[in-house]
Amino acid sequence: MEEAKMVTKSLFMSYSRNAPPALKDVTMDIRANSVTAFIGPSGCGKSTFLRCLNRMNDFVRDARITGRVLLDGMDIYSPEVDVTNLRRRVGMVFQRPNPFPFSIRENVAYGPKLLGARDESVIDEIVENSLRSAGLWEEARDRLNDMATSLSGGQQQRLCIARAIAVEPEVLLMDEPTSALDPIATARVEELVRELKRDYTVAIVTHNMQQAARVSDTTAFFLMGELVEYGPTDVIFTTPTDQRTEDYITGRFG
Amino acid sequence: MERAGEIVITTGGPRGARRGARKWGEIVPKGVVTSVALSGIWLMAFIIFFLIKEGAPILKETSLTEIALGQLWYPVSNPPSYGMLPLIAGSAAVTLLSSIMAIPFGVVLALFISDVCPERAREFCKVSLEILGFLPSVVLGFIGMAVIAPHMQMKLELLSGLNMLNASFLLGILILPTIATLSEDSLYAVPQAMRDASYALGGTRCETMFKVVLKCASRGIAQAAILGVMRSVGETMVVLMAAGGAAIIPLAMSDPVRPLTSTIAAEMGETPVGSPHYHALFFMGCLLLFITIALNILVLRIESGGGEK
Amino acid sequence: MSIYLLRRAADRASTAALYGCMALSAAVLGLILAFLAYRGVGAISWEFISDHPRAGMTEGGIVTPIAGTVQLILVSMAFAFPVGVTTAVYFNEYSRGGALTKALRLAVRSLASVPSVVLGLFGLAFFCVFLRFGASLLSAGLTLGCLALPTLITASETALQNVPREFRDASYALGGTRWQTIYKVVLPSAFPGIITGGILCVGRVAGETAPIMFTGAVFFAPGFARSIFDSVMALPYHIYVLATAGTRIDKTEPLQYGTILVLLALVLGISMVGIVARARLRKRL
Repeated sequence: MEEAKMVTKSLFMSYSRNAPPALKDVTMDIRANSVTAFIGPSGCGKSTFLRCLNRMNDFVRDARITGRVLLDGMDIYSPEVDVTNLRRRVGMVFQRPNPFPFSIRENVAYGPKLLGARDESVIDEIVENSLRSAGLWEEARDRLNDMATSLSGGQQQRLCIARAIAVEPEVLLMDEPTSALDPIATARVEELVRELKRDYTVAIVTHNMQQAARVSDTTAFFLMGELVEYGPTDVIFTTPTDQRTEDYITGRFG
Repeated sequence: MERAGEIVITTGGPRGARRGARKWGEIVPKGVVTSVALSGIWLMAFIIFFLIKEGAPILKETSLTEIALGQLWYPVSNPPSYGMLPLIAGSAAVTLLSSIMAIPFGVVLALFISDVCPERAREFCKVSLEILGFLPSVVLGFIGMAVIAPHMQMKLELLSGLNMLNASFLLGILILPTIATLSEDSLYAVPQAMRDASYALGGTRCETMFKVVLKCASRGIAQAAILGVMRSVGETMVVLMAAGGAAIIPLAMSDPVRPLTSTIAAEMGETPVGSPHYHALFFMGCLLLFITIALNILVLRIESGGGEK
Repeated sequence: MSIYLLRRAADRASTAALYGCMALSAAVLGLILAFLAYRGVGAISWEFISDHPRAGMTEGGIVTPIAGTVQLILVSMAFAFPVGVTTAVYFNEYSRGGALTKALRLAVRSLASVPSVVLGLFGLAFFCVFLRFGASLLSAGLTLGCLALPTLITASETALQNVPREFRDASYALGGTRWQTIYKVVLPSAFPGIITGGILCVGRVAGETAPIMFTGAVFFAPGFARSIFDSVMALPYHIYVLATAGTRIDKTEPLQYGTILVLLALVLGISMVGIVARARLRKRL
């Protein structure tokens, strides 16, 4: 197995001072060039955990986070870390496709332009490569200047993936990326996720256990803010060690 | 007890009569409400009709080209001259200058309130903008006359502090709350998902605001800007008191101007009803009315989705 | 790496600039209010509030324009309030979105954008000349009413829309007719919101000058208007007159600032009542 790309050490998180913790003592590794799936019933903290990995929880007022999150050994919550660069390195794809109301090209070019890309031919190349990696190039090549909102839901989500990889991230966080999509679009995105791990480290939150089994190498099961069990996907799904994991996987609750 | 008795009766006269009464009890209020509500249409129709009725007769005195291109506004001279170009230019100049000042500033204020301002200070900021909007224009005009003009005259060594710059500045203050409040509404309505997408790509807050949120709200902001321009065109007291009132085509910001609104306000009081001068002033009213109606149509078209690529 | 530092610096700088803009606006507002209060407070006395203008308006008080402004508010609201609320009831309860409703909406929006001085012209041509009301309290009040109407309609409509559906359903379920439901259930529960909108509207109407300049407000009146066909003095117009027509500006300066302070207190006082009432209402919703 590859070395750990991201590591969390006894991570606690609560949304306000008096609220019960949303994450309790989560310690885990996310291995490089693999797909790690977070499963669990809704409200179990899996999305919260994902948003801790690129500090999207910074926007929650009064949120309190303790513990450490390391990216290549560097604590991402230490004061000298530049959040913008961190989020560039740790990209994110959201539950609902959220393309900007710009053209397809401008959506993909947004990130590179923030990073100072000015040369149109360089941008064109980035746009093409990103769309290719996201499997959208063939469908979009002739309509790069059309509004992104004219794409179908599944295409929009792949555009969001292309937009995320245009800034050359190292880690890609996906928060239930197929929950708003139909089965065919879902299959395409899943296929894409399996391809993406060649170049990126992928962490994916899903409420769909079959999806976790299909796309991931490692699975982590969360319950009420706790990381219950964590291991290779085939082990988790065939011989879980914890009774709660087994109950969840066999559909006894959730 | 009697009521219970009534319910038992299922056929015959009383019930039919009651149904009739009930029907009248519905039709009469509905008719009254509808006809009163229609007074809005009547009112707008009357406004257009009376403005045209009183404004059109000036065309018997002079020609449209003379009005539109004539540079001399001497309505009470003998022979009178009804050139409105300097007045139109004055209106255009103060509107333009005040919009240039107030629109960017108003949008920036709106961005501040929607995306930067700490939650606790939000209400305070919105209420202070609202209070600014409640300042009567005659008070702002007075400030222009009594405070800004003397200072401007001394500091800039001008002939008069009552000029285009002074009036435009005050007009800017006057339309600022309109622009800022309406822009803020549309910025606030931009989904959080748009902001999240930008932040997740490593965008800073200002990049997110200026490159994403602003673009997402561009329609609402365009409407806000047009409504601001509309108020600026139609505002009277500030330009009447602070613009200087000279019917010349302005060439510099320190030139005094006499916009259409202030001409009407200044001259209508001393004009005999039915005189050519009276009709000329109504003609200006028509111009103003048509400009605002045109801007209104523009706002409606933006609203209904026209003009998008 | 430097691009990140640069971007962070740009972010900090623009954030600071945004704070600066807001602070500047608040400061301008504060400065205007403080300056006017400072200059005006010396002129305020019981005599100033309760006396008629004297000696060619270089002495005495401003009770005549104060009374005139109050009268104008009353006349304008007597016209605009019922019409505005009824129109809102039509939009919210009766209209089915047909051509008539569309035309009415368009008319109301256009009315809202008519410049106030153009409304003044209309008032002159229609109320004063055509209906032969002359330059009077009635003409000026009705003109101001036209100005207030669109705002009142919008405010009342919002208030009506905020009435929970369940209230209506409950009334209909008890066999109430449409009109009974509107009159006994919807209007009473929307009433606080409608009144709040009305108060905010009064704040605007009280400070308007242009619509009344040639429809009924006069330079000088010897006393209060005793009938709606008398012409009136009004605070905003009085300010304009004192500031521009006075031959002895220096002597009337305290009067000018005093009058402004009274007008501001009136307008902002009424508006603050409206703003506070609205904040309370929102909290309750």
